[in-house]
Formats: sequence, structure tokens, C-alpha cells
Amino acid sequence: MLPHLDAAYRFARWLCRPPSDADDIVQEAFLRAFRAFEGLRGGDVKAWLLTIVRNCHASALEQQRRRATVPLPDDYEAEGSPSPESVSAADEERRALRRLVAALPEEHREVLVLREMEDMSYREIASVTQVPIGTVMSRLARARAALRGNWLKDAAGEPSAVR
Amino acid sequence: MQCAEALRVQAYFDGEVDAVSALEVERHAEHCAECRSLLEHLADTRLRLRRDLEFPSAPSALRTSIGRLLDEETGQVAPGVAAPGVAAPAVAAPAVAAPSVAARARRRPRWRLRPLWLAGLGGVGAVFAAALALLIAAPWATNAVLDELVSAHVRSLMPDHLTDVVSTDRHTVKPWFAGHVDVSPVVADFADQGYRLLGGRADYFEHQRVAAVVYQHGAHFINVFAWAAAGRPLPQYTTRSGYHIACWRLGNLQYCAVSDTGWDELQGLTRLLRAAGSADTPQ
Ligand SMILES: [Zn+2]
Repeated sequence: MLPHLDAAYRFARWLCRPPSDADDIVQEAFLRAFRAFEGLRGGDVKAWLLTIVRNCHASALEQQRRRATVPLPDDYEAEGSPSPESVSAADEERRALRRLVAALPEEHREVLVLREMEDMSYREIASVTQVPIGTVMSRLARARAALRGNWLKDAAGEPSAVR
Repeated sequence: MQCAEALRVQAYFDGEVDAVSALEVERHAEHCAECRSLLEHLADTRLRLRRDLEFPSAPSALRTSIGRLLDEETGQVAPGVAAPGVAAPAVAAPAVAAPSVAARARRRPRWRLRPLWLAGLGGVGAVFAAALALLIAAPWATNAVLDELVSAHVRSLMPDHLTDVVSTDRHTVKPWFAGHVDVSPVVADFADQGYRLLGGRADYFEHQRVAAVVYQHGAHFINVFAWAAAGRPLPQYTTRSGYHIACWRLGNLQYCAVSDTGWDELQGLTRLLRAAGSADTPQ
């Protein structure tokens, strides 16, 4: 029984590029959590675990940067993309939405994912992302506005990276 | 330009405002087309995200491999004996690198090689679960309790959440608690002093049933939580996320009053409750 593993995994999938790196990040996060739980004093276990996932992702990114091998967002293509013939319009729309979320700057993407997908409160999001609640609110507003703006553009047929 | 209320409208949409604020936002949106359309966009965005994006569970292979790693941490598996399907540790492997996909999938974190400081503990799933359960049962950390109190208060202000039993009669509210929570808090109506008893509610947080007595003062609601006192005492007066919290102990009960009223108003009620409690609580 590993508490909050699914939430940790989903969050890591949204943080990591490519998302397949999530497995490693989550593994590391659970080990760190396991070694640190004595330091946890009550409070919200889920928020605490997601904070560790986020920290693991940040240090992985830092290492990648030092190696200068970090893929640019534009190079990122969701894995497992089916061949164009087998894609229905609904599938295509879902993929487009996923791509638009993935294309948001990380500080916007993480608050959006924690709010909309994990249904966390502002206070919980603030504790995971380690910023004040006011910052959570303004980032969330910008993330939502950007997402909406981008999909309106997308729907209007402006150039998009989706092939 | 964006309406100055946009952030508050968003907080309203996210269920992060109290009843008074919610009413103000609703009134504002009646007159502000921009905020009405913002509310529509917020709902539309949420609908699409929750409907169209995947919510994957962790793959069972990941679950299994985390279980194995934690077993090794606790000394369940001798360090030299790699579990089946797991490659031998590459000593120089950095904790996080970007090698080939196959190598990534098999890579072991470097602290697998650390001393097994947790040797001798039981199976890891059990250990981890027990540890998390333990820390939930441990004496409440002051901050966590205060946060819980504020969220319980905010939650109670959502439509239909304020009271389980509605009555201004303490002889109705007090017996109701006997069947629904494990404690019997002080209940009194102070309508003459400006604090109207609205009713009671059973709340549940941190694995404990908690009694909440609800009062109204002007346009504000005050939740008075009560539970069996344990652990460290809470700060007498504190403020979190804009809500004032007053805490006191009486007999074997811990009381906490939470509200967005001013300090004077909140202290007025706590004084009345302490006096009423001292009068009818055998010490
Ligand atoms: Zn407005």
C-alpha cells in the first residue's frame, strides 16, 4: 500500500519532459519520502509527497541542465502518438488539449494541474509549490487565460506543432 | 482591461471564499459582464480538462519497483541480491541523468548503496503505511490543526454544510451531539449578547470526530469546535489565512472558535462560552 502513488505519478507526468521520466522521479520521491517521514509532523500527507515529487523533478532538471541535454519544449512530442489514420477527431482534440497544457510554462502548468486535476486547495497548492497563496492565485489565473487563449487560436487553425 | 474583481471571482469559482464574500461576488457578477463571462470560461476550462485529459494510475511495474526499493531500504533484501527483473546497480550511475530510455528504466538511485539505516524493520508497505497512520494519530502539530480548523470553517460555509442540526435551543443541540460525536461541548444561546445559536454539526478531521457549534454574529458565522484535548496546547489567539482563531481548554475538552469577525467580536463569544462552561463543567 503506497499512499498517494497515483497522484504523485500523475503530477510527475505533467512535470517531466518527456513524461516517461515520471517513473524515475516518483521512485526517487518515494524513497526520499520514506527516509524523511520522521520529519513530517502531521499535516497534509498528499501535499507533502507532491512537494517531494516537485523537488525531485527540480533537481533532475538541474542535473540535466548542467549536462546541457535538456530537450526544448518544442522538441517534445507526446510518446505513443498513434498513426494519423487511426486518430478520430475526438482523440485529436484530446491530444491537442494535452499538448496545450504541456506547453504552458512550468510555474503555470503545475498550479493548473494541482487545482484542476488533483482538486487541491490554494493553501495546499501554495505548500507544494512553495509560493504565497496570492502567487498561486495569479499564476492560476494566468495559466487558465493562456490555456484558453491558446486553444481558441488552435481552434482557429493557426499553426500548431501537432502533426 | 481586466476587472479588478477577477481574482476574487476566480477564488469564488474555486470555492475559496466565505459565504459573505461569495454573496458579494454573485452581486458583482450580476452587473459585470466581464466577470460573468470569466465564470463561464472557468467552468468550461474545468469541464474540458477533467473530461478530456487522462487520469492515469501509476503502472503496476512502478508500484512493484518502489515496493522493492523500499524493501531494500529496510533491509528486507540483501544489498547484493538484486530482485528479479532489476539490473545490478551501476556504481557510478548518477541519481538523475538522461541516458538511453532502457538505461533509465533500469537505473537504480545511488542511495541504494547507502548503509541500510532502517535495517530490521518490517515489510515496507506495512512500515510506510503504519508510519503515515502513526503521524496522523500523533499529537497534532499546531500548524496542521490550525489549518484543519480553517478549512473546516471554510467548508462549513459552503451551501448546506453549516449545520447538521438546526436549532436555537441548546436543549436540542446538546443532546444531538451525544449521538453524533464523542464529546459533549458547551452549548448556549447568547442571542441577547448578539451571538445567535444556529445549530450544531459533526465534523471529522485528523481521524477524530469533532463537535462544531455554530453561532451567527451580524453577517458573520462563528464555528466553535470542540474535541477531547490531547497533545500540545494550541496558541490562545492566532490568525490563519485571514481567519481569527481563539483556542482554550476547559475540563478535558479543547475548544477553538474560528471566524472572519473582528477580534473583539470573537473574544466576546469566547468569554461568554468560557463563563458558561465554568459554570456547568465539573472540574
Ligand atoms: Zn467584474
